[in-house]
Amino acid sequence: MVPNMRWKGLDGRALRPGIGETLLAKRLRYFLTVAAALLLLPGARAQSGAPASAGGISNAVCLSCHGNSSFSIPVKDGETLPLYVDSKSLAHSVHAGLACTDCHSDITSVPHPAKSFPSRHAVSIAYYELCRQCHFDEYTRLVDGIHFKALSQGNQDAPTCVDCHGAHSITPPSQPRSRISLTCGRCHVSIAAAYAKSVHGQALVEHSNPDVPVCTDCHHAHDISSANTARWRLGIPQLCAHCHSNSAIMGKYGISTDVLSTYLNSFHGLTASLERSERVNPSEFTATCTDCHGVHDIQPVNHRGTAAVKAHLLNVCRQCHPGATANFPSAWIGHYEPSPAHAPLVYAVKVFYLFFIPFVSLGLILQILLHFWRVVVNR
Amino acid sequence: MSEYIRRFSLRQRIEHAAGMTLFIVLAATGLPQEFFEQAWARWAILAMGGIERVRWVHVYTGIVFAALVAWHLLTALLQVGRRKVPASMVPTRKDFLDAIAMMRYYLRLADQPPRFDRFDYRQKFEYWGLVMGSLIMIVTGFMLCFPVETTRFLPGQVIPAALLMHGKEALLAFLIVITWHLYNAHLSLESFPFDKSIFTGNTTRERMEKEHPLEYARWLAAQKPEAEPKPAEPVPVASGEGNAGEPGEKVSREHVGGSAPEGGPEEPAS
Repeated sequence: MVPNMRWKGLDGRALRPGIGETLLAKRLRYFLTVAAALLLLPGARAQSGAPASAGGISNAVCLSCHGNSSFSIPVKDGETLPLYVDSKSLAHSVHAGLACTDCHSDITSVPHPAKSFPSRHAVSIAYYELCRQCHFDEYTRLVDGIHFKALSQGNQDAPTCVDCHGAHSITPPSQPRSRISLTCGRCHVSIAAAYAKSVHGQALVEHSNPDVPVCTDCHHAHDISSANTARWRLGIPQLCAHCHSNSAIMGKYGISTDVLSTYLNSFHGLTASLERSERVNPSEFTATCTDCHGVHDIQPVNHRGTAAVKAHLLNVCRQCHPGATANFPSAWIGHYEPSPAHAPLVYAVKVFYLFFIPFVSLGLILQILLHFWRVVVNR
Repeated sequence: MSEYIRRFSLRQRIEHAAGMTLFIVLAATGLPQEFFEQAWARWAILAMGGIERVRWVHVYTGIVFAALVAWHLLTALLQVGRRKVPASMVPTRKDFLDAIAMMRYYLRLADQPPRFDRFDYRQKFEYWGLVMGSLIMIVTGFMLCFPVETTRFLPGQVIPAALLMHGKEALLAFLIVITWHLYNAHLSLESFPFDKSIFTGNTTRERMEKEHPLEYARWLAAQKPEAEPKPAEPVPVASGEGNAGEPGEKVSREHVGGSAPEGGPEEPAS
């Protein structure tokens, strides 16, 4: 998306001290560190307990100031930035084995120069590229995502790594799984609330159901796309079908796995399917799953009752087909294959041509063959 | 003896050429929609500029096609009604007898094929098949273009039924054209490689005699007063030339029309 941004700070200026090293130098340094650690493993084990960085500043030195729970400085917008690092939560985090200066590699001597920030969030913006040193894949995916784009356009509210993952107390973000929607919901409040009431969200929160999607299943975690584009819309059927065509999952709940094929066989479905393979965006939207079923607030269809579903459908149809009458929604025969019970007229047409086309075609071919035989072979 | 006999009026030829062109455009833009799941169909739609453009072309071509069919049927009805042209495309009892006689001939139960008039039973079958098929395509096509208006009067289910019917009927028409029509017009020994009569308007005396002996006889009779050297009674199909030409197979396809000496066009070609 913005490939040239990858090696610069977001504002295009040189990166922070210590981050400005070239990638190669950084990788090399880490390679040597890891190699040395492996070589010295038996000895290192013996003296483990107080990790020290390559710079030689031990965590204990850092914590001599930052272990003070009242240590804080004011930031320019008037808030207070706590500088306290809880050594216990650090020890329980996934990064327990790292030294402070592994991440804060700009600190090469103690005491270090004072820093000032316009706001608390500016601190995480200033430091999030530190994560890239190790989590390079996630970082590159992030660069393709909408959060990074917002940040690069100057949106100071855009989240960075630590806003979702935390800083010193990082634990696996998907344990438990329900934590994911809580994380996203810290900013996306109303969407998280709608999701929590939906059939998916309820199953997740109340039953810890592993089958339902959480935010990141549809939106991804780092390379989050905008959901307001035509590309996204046209991908929705495949997104839903990822689970809803899977009989291993749907079988548990008695949900049909024909939903995608029946949708694709409808006018809207074939339109979406074809438009998806085109590069140019369509000039009009065609209805996909979420237009009828809702997005984050999806409810089971059979809980609504037939009358409510029909009334809802008519409203949905009218968004693109103004003037649609009460007959109109039944042009959508539901996620059913035509049958005498569902859509008898469509079924009749289907059966008629199933026999009529071979009958006529074979009859004509037979006469052609007879003719040919009489003329050529049998003169 | 390759004298030419005029068989189709200019208007019939234009109607056939227009119908053929529109049919090809409709099939090219429509069949990929019917088979949209196939790789070739998706490729074809992309190559034609995407589904929106393909639909646009299909819809407007369909409207022109509908106008052509309406024009053809209206003028044909008027002309036949005013007795300007004979109703030579209307199926008669003879057509059913001809069909049976032809089967007997194919199966060697008869030595001679039946003697056909201006249009044989196969041409009439194809013509009326095309007319009925076109009407189905036009009606269902308009329903699909105007689903909101259609469901004001009809139940919603007619829309998916029309969609299905439109595609299947199109497939049937396409299959008939690429087998039956192309065989008769191009591949059969009588017409190979190309029966041009619906494009030039002319056919040879030889072929008229073989393929439409009754019409040929009428034509000869009409020519007689003007110094036609030939015998009044046309030579029966399998006369002297041994088996050389298998009789009976027709070349041209469904053109309606009558002997129309004055070029009074009638039901034009499809």
